[in-house]
Parts: sequence; structure tokens; C-alpha cells
Amino acid sequence: MTLATHIDKQLVQALLDAIENNQPEQASSLVDELTQLRESELYQQLTQLSQNLHHTLDSLEEDAPVLMHAKHDIPDVTERLQYVITETQKASEATLSSTEKALNQLELLRQQLVDNSSTEPDSILLIDQACSELTNIMMAQSFQDLTGQVLNRVIYIMTDLEESLRALIERSKFDFHAIPERVGTAEQVKQEHERGVGPNITAKGKQDSVGSQEDIDDLLGSLGI
Amino acid sequence: MAIDRNMKILVVDDFSTMRRIVKSLLTELGFSEFDEADDGSTAWPLIQTGKYDFIVSDWNMPEMTGIELLQRVRASESLKHTPFLLITAEAKRSQILDAAQAGVDGYIVKPFSAATLNNKIEKIFERIGERKNASL
Repeated sequence: MTLATHIDKQLVQALLDAIENNQPEQASSLVDELTQLRESELYQQLTQLSQNLHHTLDSLEEDAPVLMHAKHDIPDVTERLQYVITETQKASEATLSSTEKALNQLELLRQQLVDNSSTEPDSILLIDQACSELTNIMMAQSFQDLTGQVLNRVIYIMTDLEESLRALIERSKFDFHAIPERVGTAEQVKQEHERGVGPNITAKGKQDSVGSQEDIDDLLGSLGI
Repeated sequence: MAIDRNMKILVVDDFSTMRRIVKSLLTELGFSEFDEADDGSTAWPLIQTGKYDFIVSDWNMPEMTGIELLQRVRASESLKHTPFLLITAEAKRSQILDAAQAGVDGYIVKPFSAATLNNKIEKIFERIGERKNASL
């Protein structure tokens, strides 16, 4: 870069001379030369940056955090987000089914009361109010569509990031498939389980988990509890 | 003009929860004839049969968006007058302008209320009635 700065000075002087001596063609070619110098300098810097990055990647251990994140954590996170979408959808559908049923039942009841001449007008009013509350419950379920859209977007970004990291890693000395599984020491696993890991929702999390209350009862039963 | 409660409605949304909510609300409003589609791409062949009197669609769907579906409907000589209501979380000024330019009849931003849906449907069919009267 010192060299480039040095040449710049000479070139600039030559450019000034060319302008003073009214030599437009000479001046224009000197401007081109200056620009090219700038470009090649930028190019050198970029090359160096890229070499540094590769050097850093190559010097990583096989289980360096960034590699482990790329291979294990990002897929884990997307799987968890997918779980949130699926579960909230299930809950919303169940709520919708119940509110729809209740609305139909109230409608039938309303008809029976309307047909009965001795019905208090207040009873009909109460039914209408209950129907309106059920509609509110139904409308509140629209959160699932909104949060689902947000989560889908996050999953999309995470997947994109995962692919970029993977491409970067594969351009270094690493074979993506050769990055080891995440295996904690027995002590780490114990600590993690003591802290609690939440629902076992990912394919990996389901390993060594019991599937149902029955499985738990069986397991405890086999221990005499 | 009284709204024909027997008209055939197509509800398009990629989230099944939202399709159910919209259908339930329409049922409460007295409508009973629905079909549903989970994307613009699956809605389009259904719409081309020409049997729908009203289309209610989401915007953001994976294969074909609601706005693209609207553009297709408006570009078709036989379908271009079908009333089209967008119910969507998209709320950028430019998007609403794009929808208007594409020829949307109504635009509801999620989350919305039953009253808003009722109100927009009434407005849409009121306007269509006025247009029909004007052309007579």
C-alpha cells in the first residue's frame, strides 16, 4: 500500500502537469491509471481478507463451536420452531372444533327457547351473549396464522444461514459430514438434564425419551413404584 | 341490493386455522356454500371452473400469492368481475396500493374482527349493486 501511495503522488503530479499544459488525452489516460491502481489495491485487500478467513477456518479444531453450530444447532433450532408451529396449530384446531360445537348446540337451544312461548326474553339474551363470547374465542385463534407466518420466516432465514455456513465450511479443509456429533461428557449431560431440557421434540431429543404416560407408568412399575 | 346468502365462496389461505375461522364467520353471517384452497396455485384451477361468486384470499402463501391470484382473475375475460377480498397480515402502504391497482374489492388486515368482515362484505356487494344499477 505504501508503494501505491508513492506512485499516486507521482501520477497526481503528472496529471496536474498534463492539465496545466492543456493535454486532455494525456490527462484522461492518467486518470484511468489512477483508478486502476485503486481497484487493484481493493482487490489485494479482498484477497487478503479471504485468505485470512480461510486460514482461520483451516486452523479450527474439528469440533470448533462455529462448526458445531452450523452442523447441529441451526437444524436443531429450526426443528424446534417447526414444533411450535405444529403444536399451536393443533391447539387452535382443537379450540375451533369445541367452539364450533358449542355454537351449534347453543343455536339449537336458542331455537327451542324461541319456539317455547313461556321463555323469558332474558334467556335468549344470555344465549346470544354466550355465542358472542365463543366467537371471540374463535377469533383469538387467528394468532396461530400470524405467529406461524413469523416463525416460517425465521425458519427460512435460519435455513439460508445454514446453507451459507455449509458452503463456506466446504470451501475450507473440512468435510461437512465429518464434523463430529455433539457428545457431551456424562457430567455435562447430567447437568443439562438437571437443569431441564423442555419437551423432547427433535429427532435427537426423542432418543432415550419415553413416548407416553403409559411408558412412564411401565418404567416406574418395573421399578416397583 | 340484498346479498345473496347462497352464493358460492372460495376461501384461500395456507393456514388451516385461518380458513376455519373465516368459514365460521361467514357461516355466522348466513353464508353456507364454501370451498377452500391452501394456496393460490391450488385455488386457480378451482376458480377457472367459473363457479365462484366471491373469493376471500390470504396474500402471503408459498407457491402463488394472493395478489398474483387476484391479477390472474382480473386478467381473465370471463372471471374478471368476481369480487375479491384480501385478508392478510401484509400492511405496507405500497402493498395496499398494489392490491388496489390490481383491482381488489376489499382489504382486511389480520388480526381482524367479525364485525370488520361483515362490514367489508356488505360494502363490497353494495358497491357491486350500485355498479350494476348504473350500467342498466
